[in-house]
Amino acid sequence: MILLIDTTNEGIGKKIASELVNSSRGKSYEYIDASNMNISHCVGCNFCWLKTPGQCVIKDEYEPLLKKMSKADQVWLISDTKFGFVSYKAKNIVDRVMPIVTMNLHMVGNQMRHITRYDKNPNWGVIYSGDGDKDYLSWWCERVAINFGSKSLGVFSEKEYKEAISCM
Amino acid sequence: MHVIIINGSPRVEKYSNTEKIIDAFSEGLAEAGVSFERYAISNKNNWDEAREAYINNTEIIIALPLYVESAPGILLEFLETLPVKDKNTRVSFILQSGFAEASQLRCGEEFLKKLPEYLGVSYGGTLIKGDNFGIRVVKEEEVKKLTGPYKEMGKTFASGNGFFSEAVKKFAGPEYFSLPIRLMLQLMFKTIAKKRFAEAAREFGCNVPLDYRPWA
Repeated sequence: MILLIDTTNEGIGKKIASELVNSSRGKSYEYIDASNMNISHCVGCNFCWLKTPGQCVIKDEYEPLLKKMSKADQVWLISDTKFGFVSYKAKNIVDRVMPIVTMNLHMVGNQMRHITRYDKNPNWGVIYSGDGDKDYLSWWCERVAINFGSKSLGVFSEKEYKEAISCM
Repeated sequence: MHVIIINGSPRVEKYSNTEKIIDAFSEGLAEAGVSFERYAISNKNNWDEAREAYINNTEIIIALPLYVESAPGILLEFLETLPVKDKNTRVSFILQSGFAEASQLRCGEEFLKKLPEYLGVSYGGTLIKGDNFGIRVVKEEEVKKLTGPYKEMGKTFASGNGFFSEAVKKFAGPEYFSLPIRLMLQLMFKTIAKKRFAEAAREFGCNVPLDYRPWA
């Protein structure tokens, strides 16, 4: 399952989703327009690690989305850019992924990481519009994937969407 | 020198590790004769005040916890509300994290290095240090032991050179741990640390194991 989470006001992911169908590669996908969803920022309470392990205490529209992310093979975050980085809306979605890792730590390679809660974890990709700092976004996406026990699928500008589709 | 310190953590101030780090840091500033004002953005009702202070002053420090390799979402949202200023304003950063190795903070630091250009201001460097998760879970009297080193950094900042000195570089600690330390840590994670986290969870009122799978 490929999950496309679109936080852009222009809904640039819609075009990508329809191209994905046309490319007829027979992969299942779900497109989610998250631009107007009621999703709070992470408040850093640590409850998802220490009080209600695996569950966020903020009851907004995020939980069903996280559940889908947790079960997906690929998560593509589609975002506007600000300061060369993803928008705060997209970052909020990533900050709140924490319930899928546990409080407990282990060493992965030469750095410490949280132990993932589930055996399966999605790979992560980014598609961005606007003036994104691609090198930075690529580094960040790789680091995000390491934290969630998976791999980066790469970072692509809106114009490079066909390349992104070839990675799906 | 008069410094505006903005706490960019989403966590309410009472439980904010960043807030406690600022406590120690600003003690150092005060001892060196530097005045300061403090703001926090966790409550959006305080954003106008914090923004006014940012606009009307030229020496700014934004302190923040690392959230998934970069700035927390709420801080990004606040930053979007700031007007572009000029190079007479200098913005410096205190970036702290739970993970201990300095290498864990480099991706966050890179964002902060580039951010001043977008805001039109000059960059005063970033003070980085990890291994701060404990501030949240240790007893109150032990907090000062953990945050104490930041007081010295407050004095360093008061000398006027931002966060570019050798002392600041050293403060970050090792980039990676050596193999013997990594092996020791791996053992600790499986034993002492696991036990302490489980104890912390009980204090939070948790009644399931920390690796519980609600969606299994």
